[in-house]
Amino acid sequence: MEKVIEIKDVTKDFGNGRGIFDIDLSIYKGEMLGFIGPNGAGKTTTIRTIMGFIKPDKGSITVKGMDAWKDSARIKQFVGYVPGEIGFPDYKSGTDFLKAIAEFKGVKDLSYANYLIEKLQLDPSANLKRMSKGMKQKTAIVASLLADNDIIILDEPTTGLDPLMRVSFLDIIKAEKAKGKTIFMSSHVYEELEKTCDRVALINNGRIVDVVKLDDIKNRKVTDFKIEFTNQDDYLNFKRLNYQIIRDQETYNQVTITIEKDRIKMLFNDLTNYQVKFIAEIKYTLERHFNELIRRGEVI
Amino acid sequence: MIKIEVEHFTKDYGFGRGVFDISFQIHEGEVYGFLGPNGAGKSTTIRHLLGFSKPDKGHTRILGMETFTNYDKFMDKIGYLPGEIALPEGLTGYEFIEMIKELKRVKDDKYIKYLCDLFEVDPTGETKRMSLGMKRKLAIVAAFMNDPEILILDEPTSGLDLKMQQVFIDFIKEEKERGKTILLSSHIFSEVDATCDRIAIIKEGKIVAEFYATDLKHSKNKKYEVEFSSLDDLHVFRNLYEKSGKFTIINQEDNHLLININDENINYLIKALSHVHFRSFSQLKETLEDYFMKYYKEDRDFGGAIQWKKS
Repeated sequence: MEKVIEIKDVTKDFGNGRGIFDIDLSIYKGEMLGFIGPNGAGKTTTIRTIMGFIKPDKGSITVKGMDAWKDSARIKQFVGYVPGEIGFPDYKSGTDFLKAIAEFKGVKDLSYANYLIEKLQLDPSANLKRMSKGMKQKTAIVASLLADNDIIILDEPTTGLDPLMRVSFLDIIKAEKAKGKTIFMSSHVYEELEKTCDRVALINNGRIVDVVKLDDIKNRKVTDFKIEFTNQDDYLNFKRLNYQIIRDQETYNQVTITIEKDRIKMLFNDLTNYQVKFIAEIKYTLERHFNELIRRGEVI
Repeated sequence: MIKIEVEHFTKDYGFGRGVFDISFQIHEGEVYGFLGPNGAGKSTTIRHLLGFSKPDKGHTRILGMETFTNYDKFMDKIGYLPGEIALPEGLTGYEFIEMIKELKRVKDDKYIKYLCDLFEVDPTGETKRMSLGMKRKLAIVAAFMNDPEILILDEPTSGLDLKMQQVFIDFIKEEKERGKTILLSSHIFSEVDATCDRIAIIKEGKIVAEFYATDLKHSKNKKYEVEFSSLDDLHVFRNLYEKSGKFTIINQEDNHLLININDENINYLIKALSHVHFRSFSQLKETLEDYFMKYYKEDRDFGGAIQWKKS
């Protein structure tokens, strides 16, 4: 598979333990890679290094084979980019700014820009300086996508968007992905990445600590059920059976078990002997995956 | 005891904008969530509750008083955190805090210091040069320094980073423990989920749903998806058990069934399923976001398009 963005052994040390260290990460053609981690973990630094705003101390980054630092001016022309903190150049209105971007990227046909404007319900004629945070974010999104570039890099693009706009934005990104684009998106909202990405990388203290395929999260062979029994006898008798109990709440006559999905039928056969008050599934999510890594001490 | 009350309140700005005939009550010690997108009418309601503007129709009351005519009587009992922070210019953070202290006649610095430490406020330097997050934290100190019994919060965590958002959520929970009455307007599901006792969903100036947060979190109505081993198994299951009326089938796709059932009938379903072959059984959970989205199908559009005219 073709590597569109390749980050090899990259370090940028800002001192006092801040920065990014030995980052190795590749983004393949047509893939959507998510990027998550706490504030200050190095998400924006990594993205800014790809965009050629920061020169790494060591290691190399290439975008379509071009050096991210040396060829940054060229790379900016064929990459759609939403920065983490938006500071617009001094244009009067959103429209003027979007036109300037279109010109820079050599875009003649603005129909896609207008489609995006409509979809995000943006009024670009407003004064750039007076725009609310949400409007600025929408303007930046339109600017990043209007050239229909094959590579899209998004640094927390949904900050400041209300829930309806977030849904519209995610619809747009899904459509971009369906067109075969290569997308790298950071976010601090797990669900957003879960709904859109193929893989997600977790960064902490400047280091990539895990890269996980979402298919592996979704298609696990085991799942967890929380079961509450109507009476204590049934609760105690069920506990004598050979199920793997991961949480036991005696006061509620409640157990949480981990079970292979193909053994659920057997579980139900057993449960017919008891009075169940409710059964609820505890889903394995991206958030849980990373939290469990952290709890098990696999993440420094 | 009712601390905040909105009764048949209407404010019509024309063009379908505004707030139309909404009513709700917030009791002492309760955290009430006001959930809606930008432009739904959240801030309009809040601004009327503060007495900034007069309702066209209906009433907005705080501590039983009509707010537009009595704001001088309750202002010292509420802490208001506005959605967009505009701090006076030419002041340092310290000077701003001193100014508010005088206005609110706060004698004791202890609580101010507690808030500054909790939210890691650095009041040195001019307010104009502060980051968005620092301005908001300064506004938090200003709003709560007199330890008011009612808190009115309009998008309180926008501009705060994740860590500070958590600090704020914990602060709200503590204030609730101390018996404060809180109105929280927000479109961040996680913070509404984490703090609110009751939640109203507001759409185009109307309250379209109001419910207890626990009813959603621990709903006795559950949805399960069952994948049967074969279509035959599915048909056997439907033929034998569907007419019991103990559950309803929401959807069927190939050999998958989506089932809606109340907890009180779960033993019936377990028995029924033990008689057929199935491959998987999973639960579909409705989150606050799912619930919210049900009320919001995109049906409005506005905004302009760029015309490509070379100047």
